[in-house]
Amino acid sequence: MVSPRVLRNLKREFKRSALAKTGLVLVVVVVTVAIFAPFVAPHNPTAQDLDNRRQPPLGFSRTVETTSSEMVNGSIQLVERTEHVNATAAHPLGTDSLGRDMLSRVIYGARTSLLVGVLGTLLAAILGVSVGLSAGYYRGRVDDALMRFADVSLAFPSLVLAVALIGLWGRAAVPVPDPFVVFGLAPGMPATFTLPGTVIVVVGLVNWVWFARVARGEALSIREEEYIKAARAIGASDGRIIWRHVLPNATTPILVLGTIQIAAIILLESALSFLGFSGTTLSWGFDIAQGRDYLATSWWISTMPGLAIVVAVVGINLLGDLLRDALDPGIEGEGGL
Amino acid sequence: MALGRFLFKRVTQGVLVVWGVITVVFGLRFITPGSPINALAPLDATAETRQAIAAELGLNQPLHVQYGYYLLDLLRGDMGYSYIKGQEVAGLVLQRVPATVELAVAATVVAIALSIPLGVISATRRNEPVDYGATLFSLGGISTPNFWLGIMMILVLAVQFGIFHTSGRGVGFGDVLLSIVGSEPFLGTVLDWLRYITLPAIALGTYFTALVTRLTRSGMLDELGKGYVRAARAKGLPETLVRYKHALRNTLVPVVTVLGLQLGTLIGGAVITEAVFAWPGLGTLVIQSINVRDWPTLQGCLIIIGTSFVIVNLAVDLLYASLDPRVVYD
Repeated sequence: MVSPRVLRNLKREFKRSALAKTGLVLVVVVVTVAIFAPFVAPHNPTAQDLDNRRQPPLGFSRTVETTSSEMVNGSIQLVERTEHVNATAAHPLGTDSLGRDMLSRVIYGARTSLLVGVLGTLLAAILGVSVGLSAGYYRGRVDDALMRFADVSLAFPSLVLAVALIGLWGRAAVPVPDPFVVFGLAPGMPATFTLPGTVIVVVGLVNWVWFARVARGEALSIREEEYIKAARAIGASDGRIIWRHVLPNATTPILVLGTIQIAAIILLESALSFLGFSGTTLSWGFDIAQGRDYLATSWWISTMPGLAIVVAVVGINLLGDLLRDALDPGIEGEGGL
Repeated sequence: MALGRFLFKRVTQGVLVVWGVITVVFGLRFITPGSPINALAPLDATAETRQAIAAELGLNQPLHVQYGYYLLDLLRGDMGYSYIKGQEVAGLVLQRVPATVELAVAATVVAIALSIPLGVISATRRNEPVDYGATLFSLGGISTPNFWLGIMMILVLAVQFGIFHTSGRGVGFGDVLLSIVGSEPFLGTVLDWLRYITLPAIALGTYFTALVTRLTRSGMLDELGKGYVRAARAKGLPETLVRYKHALRNTLVPVVTVLGLQLGTLIGGAVITEAVFAWPGLGTLVIQSINVRDWPTLQGCLIIIGTSFVIVNLAVDLLYASLDPRVVYD
């Protein structure tokens, strides 16, 4: 599927670019943390500890002003006190409004983001590539119809369409058993992981059009190649030609687009869960939203998950840049937020 | 003559896309769980009552008749009635348009004013600190969720330092225009307007600033290596003229194309930016109407958003043609 020449380019670009190396490190870290979340997370991300609510992250403290009526010199008086809530090593990134550990929530949030990003992109790619390749290969009416439909799709911004579809369909959440916990390897961690099913379907449905455009463009030029004519001459069926000859030669730009799309879909997912359209409560966007109510006193609740999004998306974008520079297919448009 | 034909063709295409948008939005009501009758009829309604409601809404007619009436109503500017708000949808939606347009235009102005100079400087001083700075900025800009950026700016610039308002749109651009002729002090109104619009405009504009900076930088690098630039330098043109008149003009062609494609992202971004800053535009109306299951209003919003996308893209095409005289009008 990927030619040796492409691999050579990839290696050369990678060695040359410090940014690409940074990107790879970031992505490896985020993916590892997401997969092994039950081992990496210091606490159960959903366990509440109401005595330690809104504890600040290491290096910070929070002042609480309390007023209480107390007996002072034999009479009841209002006493104002300023107390400091200090950080503890048990919660390096602090805790949220219910005393849940922010670090563990950020770690588990990586799972949601990556799963939605990868599965959503796969769905979009399967839909978009099959439609795009057929349109470009057959041309004519199929192609016209597709391009008009793509124009209409593009007229609705992904976020607006996603919000509308989820609003109409509801927020299906699919509980998936966590294998590490099921086999007793990580006691005390959540036994199931909530997959935001509707979100995955919807982000795939709203982003397929980018894949369709790229795949169509590739198919339009590939169909004129000699080897396609040869395949047709020996009597290969259209389906076989598209699957065995057109698709393998169109993979490069689709791969590049796929990388960019994972980043775009992670941003889209965070926006959806920020707006409350996700179906899971273990998500970076959801935590940013819940931290908004405590912005003036507990800034870290909104800040930490946002930083995690930036780290993940920067990493993926850097890898995307590497792929693009190495393969240089000249892709237009990026989509997403 | 060619331009006239080009215009005619593009406008026709645009009208077709708008028709498609309307058809999709019409179709949305059929993938909605539950019939609209359920939303209106009392829980203990008899079959007769339900039929009466269906008849009043025209739901007992064949699909193509309903569709025909839907199109006719839209042509007359009637987008239906929001039973939840107790208002005509058209009025409800159009009333929100100015706020969103103001936000989108402000964000675009911020983006273009920052990104094009930054991209040019970055390209002409390649591998200098300013280039690295611009590269990092644009990488961060395309990787940061705009709603989070908005919240962080509220946290620092509005809550901590109190420079800007945390949310809302107390003073609109219309008020600024009025203050020129009216009794309100002009400067005060402008300052107050800026305190409302600056943060949302930056939050929404950052992604585009970053994107256009990247495109301008790589485009300029391409163009500056081309023969015509060497020719222009050789005949003694000042460097500023070479860069800004010759190279930049050619760089802008692909930039404009991508901006047109990304317009949906701008509108989508406006939805969430509005949610963060409680900006009373179309975006907040979309979210509100979904939360209260006000489908007629949602449909109205979608039609307006889709149509404006088509109109602005038409404008982008014309701009494209004027930037690149080689564009063939057919």
